Amino acid sequence: MVLSPQDAAGALRDIEAAQARSAQLHGYARSSPQLLLWGVLWVIGYGLQDLFPAHAGAIWGAIVPIGLIAGFAALRGAGREAGWRYGAVAMTLVAFFAAAFFVLWPVSPRQSAALIPLVIATGYVIIGIWRGPRFVITGVAVAALTLAGFILLKQHFSLWMAGVGGASLILAGIWLKRV
Amino acid sequence: MAEADEIIHQQTRLKIMATLRAIPAGEWMEFTRLKAILRATDGNLGSHISTLESAGYITVNKDFVGKKPRTRVALTRSGRKAFAQHVEFLRTILEAATPAQRQ
Repeated sequence: MVLSPQDAAGALRDIEAAQARSAQLHGYARSSPQLLLWGVLWVIGYGLQDLFPAHAGAIWGAIVPIGLIAGFAALRGAGREAGWRYGAVAMTLVAFFAAAFFVLWPVSPRQSAALIPLVIATGYVIIGIWRGPRFVITGVAVAALTLAGFILLKQHFSLWMAGVGGASLILAGIWLKRV
Repeated sequence: MAEADEIIHQQTRLKIMATLRAIPAGEWMEFTRLKAILRATDGNLGSHISTLESAGYITVNKDFVGKKPRTRVALTRSGRKAFAQHVEFLRTILEAATPAQRQ
């Protein structure tokens, strides 16, 4: 089989493009269950917080561990490395928010309900800068919707986050799964 | 020196191999997903999958999810090796060429 350098260069370009696209789509698909899971948990958590604002701490104290365990279970098949990275990211976020609330205290339930999604959205934008534009769009959308609700709604901001924030994560999860 | 692999070098098969190579070893890709990624037709993709399977480069698994049939494909170990050798062959050609020949 005789190939010219141009043929070889063309084939290598095809390979590089196919691998980049495949890796990006694989990364999207791997992340999809996490967004679907946390979208549902936001609907439940923020919905309950709107109904029982005085119990926000207890609600999220139950929701977050459930989410972390379910999120870990959703990594099934992704290998051991993904497992410890997930655990490390979770612990980092928990430590960050504990430190942030300690420094900023007193923080109102409304402020904390906005701060956490904004940090998560920032994380998606940063991931997206490396891993693909769908993460960036998801992060920007969640941040914009969170800020819009925070600015426009003095009451029922949690309900906004349950409906709009949770739904945007669920929709992003569905979108990430698609080719 | 690495050698050309005529089975892999065909453009669609090259893209199939590259697409499957980009996912972690041991993971499967659904036929429908591969078809969407490559923007190929059922018949065309199926034909190239058969060729690669006959060469032992990919393995095909057919099962059911509930009542829905599912076809998945994955690279075999020999497929990974053959693909790596073919890429090496392509790079060797480029390295031996003058800058003008690479354009």
